[in-house]
Amino acid sequence: MRVLIQSQRFTVFSIIDNLVAHQREALKGMGDEFIRGYVNLAEGEKDPRNLMLTFAIDRVLLIEFEVDKFIEDFFNITFCYFPITFRPPPNDPYGITSEDLKATLRSCLHASPAFGKLAVPLFLEKLNAGSPLTKKDTLDTLDVCLPVYGPAVAREFARKLWNALKLEIFQPTDSVTEEKSLKTFQVLIQTIYSTAKEEQNDDGAIEGLAKDACDECMEILGEPEKSQAKHAIKVLCAFMSTTPSVARFTLTRAVPHFVRLFLNPDELPNRAPTLRLLADLIEAARKSTSEDPEVLPDEGNVPLSLYKDEVLGILTVGLKTPASAYPAIDALKSMVLTGGLLTDEELGFVVHNVDEVLQKDDEESDLSDVCLDLLSTISSFAPSHVTGNTLPLLFSTLSDTAPPREAEAERVKYWRTLASLKKLCMQPDLFETLVVRFLTKLDLLCVPTASIPVTTEEDLEPAAAYAHSILRTLADVLSMKIHQGHTDVVKYIDRLIPRLYNLFIYSALVSQERPMAATEPRLLVVAAQIVTLVSQSLSVSRQETFVKAVYAAYFEGDVSGLVDGVQKIPTDKKFNPFEPSASTAQKNLLVLFSAAVVALHKDVALPVPDEAAFLDHLLQWISAYAENALQREALNHLVAAVVNRHADKLDAFLSSSVDAFWSSQIADAAQSTEARRHAIGTFTWLTKALLVRGHASAMKNVDRLIELFDDESVSWDAARAVGRIPGADKILTKGHHAIIKILYAQKYTNSVLPRIVEGAKVSQSSRQNAYLVALAALIKSVPKSTYAHQMPSLMPLLLRGLDLPDNEIRAGVIDTLQAAATSGDKENDAVSEHATSLVSTMLKNSLVSQMPSVKVRVAALRYLATLPSVVRYDILHPQKATVIRELAKALDDPKRVVRSEAVEARTNWLVATPT
Amino acid sequence: MSAEVFNPNPTVFAPLKAKKTAHSYAKPNSIWLDDVDRADEDEGDFDQSDDPEAIDQDEIFGTSTGSLRVHYIELTMTLEQLAVVSAPQITFDPKYPDRITVEFTPTVPHCGMSTFIGLSIRVRLLRSLPQRFKVDIRVKPGSHQSEHALNKQLNDKERVAAALENPALVEVLEQCLSTAGRTASEEEA
Repeated sequence: MRVLIQSQRFTVFSIIDNLVAHQREALKGMGDEFIRGYVNLAEGEKDPRNLMLTFAIDRVLLIEFEVDKFIEDFFNITFCYFPITFRPPPNDPYGITSEDLKATLRSCLHASPAFGKLAVPLFLEKLNAGSPLTKKDTLDTLDVCLPVYGPAVAREFARKLWNALKLEIFQPTDSVTEEKSLKTFQVLIQTIYSTAKEEQNDDGAIEGLAKDACDECMEILGEPEKSQAKHAIKVLCAFMSTTPSVARFTLTRAVPHFVRLFLNPDELPNRAPTLRLLADLIEAARKSTSEDPEVLPDEGNVPLSLYKDEVLGILTVGLKTPASAYPAIDALKSMVLTGGLLTDEELGFVVHNVDEVLQKDDEESDLSDVCLDLLSTISSFAPSHVTGNTLPLLFSTLSDTAPPREAEAERVKYWRTLASLKKLCMQPDLFETLVVRFLTKLDLLCVPTASIPVTTEEDLEPAAAYAHSILRTLADVLSMKIHQGHTDVVKYIDRLIPRLYNLFIYSALVSQERPMAATEPRLLVVAAQIVTLVSQSLSVSRQETFVKAVYAAYFEGDVSGLVDGVQKIPTDKKFNPFEPSASTAQKNLLVLFSAAVVALHKDVALPVPDEAAFLDHLLQWISAYAENALQREALNHLVAAVVNRHADKLDAFLSSSVDAFWSSQIADAAQSTEARRHAIGTFTWLTKALLVRGHASAMKNVDRLIELFDDESVSWDAARAVGRIPGADKILTKGHHAIIKILYAQKYTNSVLPRIVEGAKVSQSSRQNAYLVALAALIKSVPKSTYAHQMPSLMPLLLRGLDLPDNEIRAGVIDTLQAAATSGDKENDAVSEHATSLVSTMLKNSLVSQMPSVKVRVAALRYLATLPSVVRYDILHPQKATVIRELAKALDDPKRVVRSEAVEARTNWLVATPT
Repeated sequence: MSAEVFNPNPTVFAPLKAKKTAHSYAKPNSIWLDDVDRADEDEGDFDQSDDPEAIDQDEIFGTSTGSLRVHYIELTMTLEQLAVVSAPQITFDPKYPDRITVEFTPTVPHCGMSTFIGLSIRVRLLRSLPQRFKVDIRVKPGSHQSEHALNKQLNDKERVAAALENPALVEVLEQCLSTAGRTASEEEA
């Protein structure tokens, strides 16, 4: 065989392989002769292509043939290849990887249990002397081999294996090897104890390796604060998911030990680490039982239930001191989540104790966070304890009146309570209570009782701020609930929304006589979010009725279908916010009108006779009567939402009305700059709505905006608008049922970016700057992939953009450069090419003496910090000394965030060396 | 560095959680909650005021010394985990605000790594503090058997400079320092 060349040997093995596949019985009939012959042929084979075949044949022979006599020969022709260190040559045409060889060889190694006695010493040798890679390979192989070799072999080598593994576990070189060692140890224990009933005495005590290893670990765990204890507990945790008897044995040893340690007065300072170890163990025990979620263990059948009283006892004591409270809460969480461990009563006990911690936690620590996490875990399956205990406690700390302006401490207190409620009240039952309590609170805060005489100098701002915080909390919880797909959101269209409309409409009407807290615009904004959140989760038909009620109220003054609440809307005053002469408070309520419409499905028809006329009316209203940014913004959103849903029916509006709007409000230089800016804002929203649904006239609008680049007074506004049109926003989203075509931003960039680049190159200076502004705004608002391939040609333009006298633009450009530098490989050539000018520009932007904006300084320093890792050192070398000298100045920046970035950047440059 | 193990089973300390100065949403001097939407539309989370913020001990500890790592036996731990350095051990001279004393505590009195730890603290501070600062590095009194010699060595400019010209030493030093800074704290987060 040796004299043959590889391809001939390959043919020989292929023939044998075929024979083994098709003529197996005949070969078996040949008996020892065939086996002996084959071993001779296979011996000394070195070529990976042939080895792939021989390994496959080996496996079949080992499993199907009588090979007991030849086991040593087979051992020699298989184990001599372990561990595989083969590395395929570059551009290997045969495509055999080291992984392929490893896998096929491994399948031979565990083909026969007879290998056991021969193989384990070899594995041990590799484990003790091997490189990290060999160690990992050996451990993986042991994992599959040990169960095949069987308990007898495992027991024989148990001590030696444990000693080898112990080294890797207690003095780990890297976490992967450590984990694999733990896994192998688990397999070892499972192999020894899975079948062996004889290892177990009548009283369930465990003998042998598990006991010895457990003893060793227990000794180390006598000092829970030392670093070795962490490793010891990992071994015990590994025990938990081996066999039930071993797990039970470990618990009977470890849990009482920890309880004793905890209660020992001499060990008082070590309570926190003790509980940490206990928590790890309980978590491991939980994981081992919850593998099969279908089978719920019976009450009392959980291994830990034997000790639950003692454990609960020390955990509740542990809760009392801040240091040990964290592990205690972790342990409680694991216990709570262990199916069938705690009774309902005990859950109540846990909730009660955690409530106490929550109440006592006056400092701003993370402790409340973990407490709330535990409570919300409990509330997910046993809400009654939390609604009964925790919620009343939290609500009782919220006062019914707002603390005065100077009472900072009380304000922080209610913020904290609200933050707690926000984390806790996702669960439907809890949320229902939250809504009821909050609505009452809002009424108390915003509507003064009639008996108090009207005093004009009364300070309403604290009350408004308090109400704002409450609404904010509601909105945040709602948005989280929608995010998680809770279905109970729908019912709040009846329970929450009418009450809100009632409060705000009432306040707006009454405010003509006396000041009302709920007329504050900031409150309206949050309330609008709540309205949109609820309305977006409604069905088409429910949205239809809702939007009808809203239109009736806003256009006909008939609020009866929309509102519901304690305060009766005064009948002597008319609610007509669209009237040009309406009060500001009423006009501000358009925010709540827009909020109801922006999340409509496209099938919901607006209850107006003619949508085009309606939109036209809105456009004129915005420019003629809107008094502030709030009203304009609300109506812009409204127009955008309606156009986005119904553009196909609005051809007339999109041509004539929009044309008229453009020429009268934007193109007409006689209008004030202010008014033109506002109109550009409206126009941007209109275009955005068309663009995302892929409507053709969007691009026509962009052309118009580009024409404005020549107009000194609004050129930058137009340029920003061109950039911002494809940007993501919070109104036209999938969640709001907007019509969105995929890749609209891609298409937009493909058509607009070349024009911008061209324009920035050729036109005169003022126009050029407008193009640069548009470029900066555009790359900020579209995904990076849309312009990545253009980066080389964009680079010089972006560098010029850095000289524009606008900090916002500069920061945006630097961020873009940063994103381009950190990802991808191709455009780094572009970075290298411009490295010198990039470095000097960034330095200029990073020093407080030359750049007042913190944001730009931080961005520039971040960029400097990235450069050494993306640009070859020899390019940066000439500037290294300058950079380090200049950055020393940035280390003394007055702002902390800047200083920390400067440290990072300077360190990176200091350690940059030729590679 | 010798392979001798000075303290094979050191006590590990949980890092002290820095007290949050205020809730992220509670802005100073405002009675209003921060509106999430508005916050990310305009300037982002930077404090735009021009009030200078002075460098304090927490900052020096946080950005500089806390996250340095030391190779103990095979495993690596940060100086903070081993309580070798802590924020209160960094003190400012009340008379000269530019003079800082950094004290550190070796885990055992015969620790042979102490010089090296001191040196790594010195180098990190050289790199991350403005030049106007003068730093004294000392071993906590009574915590090391050759305390006096150590203090002398660590504050001797010539000897520090000489140490930094030893390429082997610098390589180990860079390894320790490489985990300092942002990358390390992000890994842990």
